Amino acid sequence: MRLERILVNAGKTLAVVMILLWSLFPIFFIVSSSFKPGREIFAVPPQWLFTPTIDHYVTLWQRWGIFFEALLNSTIVTIGATCIAVIASTCAGYVYSRSSSRFLDSSLVFLIAVRLIPPIVVTLPLFPIVNNLGLADTHFVLAVLYATFFVSLGTVLMRTFIDQIPRELDEAASMDGATMPVILWKVIMPLAAPGILAVAVFVVVFAWNEFLFAFIFTGTRAKTAPLVISEMIGFIEGVDWGVLFAASTVQLLPVLLFVMAMNRYLVAGLTSGATKG
Amino acid sequence: MKTSSIWRMMPLLAPTQLLLISVIVIPSIYVVWLSFHASTYGQNATFIGLENYVRVLGDPGFHSALWNTVVLVVVAVHLELLMALGMALLFNSGLWGRRFLLVAVLAPYAVSEVVAVAMWRFLFDQGVGPVTVLMSALGLPALEWSYEPSHAMIMIAVLTIWMHLPFTFVILYAARLALPADLYEAARIDGATRLQSFRRVTIPLMGPAILVALLFRYIFAFRMFSEVWLLTGGGPARTTEVVAVYLYQEAFTYSAFGPASATAWIMVAVSMVLASGYILLLRRQVKNAA
Amino acid sequence: MSDKNTFRLNRRTFLGGTVSGIALMAAGPVFAQGKTLQVLSHRVHQTSLGEGDADLLAAWKAENDADVIFTTLDSNPLMDRLFREASLAQTDFSVGYMVDNRPTSENATLFEELQAYQDADPIEDFGDIAPGLVQGMTIDGRLIGIPVRTATQGLFYNEELLADAGFDGPAKTLEELVEQCVAISAKGKATGMILASDLAVFPVMFARAFGGDYISQDFELLPNPAAMETALTVLADMFAKGALPRSYATNKGEELLTWMQQGRAAYSVLPFARMGQLSDPALTDYAGKIKVTAFPGSESLPAEVPMSSVVEAWAMTIPANAVDKELAWKFIKEVSSKKNTLGMALNGNGPARVSTFLDPELTSKNDFATVESEVLATARGAFPPFGEAARAQQLFLEEVQLAVLGRKSPADAVAAIQTRIQPLLPA
Repeated sequence: MRLERILVNAGKTLAVVMILLWSLFPIFFIVSSSFKPGREIFAVPPQWLFTPTIDHYVTLWQRWGIFFEALLNSTIVTIGATCIAVIASTCAGYVYSRSSSRFLDSSLVFLIAVRLIPPIVVTLPLFPIVNNLGLADTHFVLAVLYATFFVSLGTVLMRTFIDQIPRELDEAASMDGATMPVILWKVIMPLAAPGILAVAVFVVVFAWNEFLFAFIFTGTRAKTAPLVISEMIGFIEGVDWGVLFAASTVQLLPVLLFVMAMNRYLVAGLTSGATKG
Repeated sequence: MKTSSIWRMMPLLAPTQLLLISVIVIPSIYVVWLSFHASTYGQNATFIGLENYVRVLGDPGFHSALWNTVVLVVVAVHLELLMALGMALLFNSGLWGRRFLLVAVLAPYAVSEVVAVAMWRFLFDQGVGPVTVLMSALGLPALEWSYEPSHAMIMIAVLTIWMHLPFTFVILYAARLALPADLYEAARIDGATRLQSFRRVTIPLMGPAILVALLFRYIFAFRMFSEVWLLTGGGPARTTEVVAVYLYQEAFTYSAFGPASATAWIMVAVSMVLASGYILLLRRQVKNAA
Repeated sequence: MSDKNTFRLNRRTFLGGTVSGIALMAAGPVFAQGKTLQVLSHRVHQTSLGEGDADLLAAWKAENDADVIFTTLDSNPLMDRLFREASLAQTDFSVGYMVDNRPTSENATLFEELQAYQDADPIEDFGDIAPGLVQGMTIDGRLIGIPVRTATQGLFYNEELLADAGFDGPAKTLEELVEQCVAISAKGKATGMILASDLAVFPVMFARAFGGDYISQDFELLPNPAAMETALTVLADMFAKGALPRSYATNKGEELLTWMQQGRAAYSVLPFARMGQLSDPALTDYAGKIKVTAFPGSESLPAEVPMSSVVEAWAMTIPANAVDKELAWKFIKEVSSKKNTLGMALNGNGPARVSTFLDPELTSKNDFATVESEVLATARGAFPPFGEAARAQQLFLEEVQLAVLGRKSPADAVAAIQTRIQPLLPA
């Protein structure tokens, strides 16, 4: 019995170590390599002890100024997309939670079915449309695109969260003469905050990291950080792997920390909405 | 609720529906129109009926792209499911520092495709990649992903699994947590072994969650683009090209909008077939909830 | 869901986020004053114009109160983007750099006819810009681009790695080159040669070394199929013997530079102008040991047939739907001046002006300028432009890769190239 327990525990420990290596090692490796002096990045076998240097970050700052502009663009687009998605999904989620009719049921199925259309399909016709509207290469276009591909999920998610808020609360407010926007703002929004955060986590991660839309719809003014990194992959010269790793680290860390801090809401979102919308 | 109040709520529904209709539905319909025409830069579109579809469906390049996509979806998604299931059961069996472990497992979710590709390309670099070095030190054969098509497919599958495992894991772990403990208690009293209770209790009860996770991953893996585009670009010799890359090349490299649109609609059709089972499931849920 | 304070806090945070988001979106990006000219190009074009204190256009910018903003992409995506932009109702890009194997009768109409601009406000000594290049940018009698860069392929080699394997100089014939590459790889210190598999340039050079070609200037596909088969056999043999890296099928153009800089390969084929990045001690341990010469032909190549290297030329175009065409022309005129052509050449740009090659300032800095101009004299494009050129190149490369990796016999690959590409050629 005792031997079995020891074996089981050893097995579990081994499994945990493997899981940690699998999930974290690639991230750790890229972050640590960004602090390695140029040629040590290529050392065989890899150097685990080295004098950290911020050389690559300095080079990044001096030679790839556009990367930092792109970071600002990514920030603007991410915040914009999150706001649009959160507001639209909260409103729609409220309707689906509080009312039901055959029309609403089918519109919910429509909502979900539309999301199943692969994003690459709409890039082809959207490019001329966006341009004719004078919206090419703007933050607005990316924010709207990113929000659109998440309102379905967001709506279903918000519906689930709003379902848990007792109807009596908004009925009471309505009795007191509060209008719909006031009820939404004063009663629903505060109580559905975890849902809002869950929606926000999804949109933030998607908008911050997205490649295809940014590749097709931006040029100079709204170019996002992943795009600049993909260009860097194409322009690596000599020891520039370090600069690439530095840029990757800068792009990666904020959203990684955000996801880690918000893991509770991410999990709640995934379990209560992601598979339903 | 009364009809009047539904109309009162319409303005709240409008932003969502407006976004979906203007950004996804109308452009998709325009793609249908394009798929029946021949057009490129500096030329007006001319109607050619189903010719684009015939051309794409008859192109050996499309066949191999479709085959590669199916292989990747089948292999990567099922492996991912097995890993996620194993991890969900491991987490459920009681682990020290579970909260921290959960956060660690979620980490790859935050990594962009671009950065993930940079990472894995370097880890498996055939000259200096640390994993390659480690494998050769252990006397294992290196992954020659730029030479051996099957190795390149493995590389893409590994990258896809790495990026999407958090999603599948969370779904399955939550489903496992939701299973009532007294069922296992009852099974134990009936003298069931662990394996038996796994087969008789865990698997059937987690069935719906497993199915949902699978369908979802099928649909999303089927549209895979950035991983392949940034990692192998479809090479060596177009042996790892997937449908989305084929579409991109037709549209943006060869400027052949007709075949590109036809490919797009074939993609939509396949996604819808994959999804139909899922939507059926969902309709039942919507009805039950109502 | 029970702690009211958290919700308040959350809503406030959320509110703050919304407000700052809207503010940021309203503010938009901040641009410098005056006019801005947006240029779509490869990064090489931007860097050759110099940056910061070394900006060749500083005076021009001040004089015209204009700022130049570059959007840079890699070669293939750059062309995709340029044609996409030019096909719209309007584009923000007033100048686009175009490679000479892309303009066709169909897409040339998307760009301004520049002869009228040249007549009204001429470029300095226009006749000095290589007439062949100007010809390449004249489609159906319309001049759509002003040549600005030539990239002539040369054979780069690492002296130290050659000496290590007992060779005191670069190969003089293709046979010798293959022999050296195999020997160097066998030594185990470095790979014999690094080539990219995503560009037609390299198999075309090998085919020409045997007197063959991919598509001739008058659209004949594989004018000498036997020469192409020999070329593929040689490449496949090099790959099998390790003289090409195992990663051949995924090696991209830009990687060649890295491999040479790191001393991982002894030979490579790159534009002469890349010497700058291969002789900079900050970028490579082998600065000064990497040299360049002409790519050799085969022993079997008749003496009267010169080895024709591949040259790629870039030209500046103005999309017909551009906003500020006047400023665009002023920019093109300024970049094309003799002074700036020399300045760019000193920054590592292959000049489009004949006289610049002979400029003492350049020849004293680049000892290879003479070799380069000799190679350029017999060089021609990898293939002529036609509508389906991009698709044809992809098919060609697919078959070449299959042959080199040994998945298909060279004979079968040549036959497949013939049958698959023939229907794509203009009638």
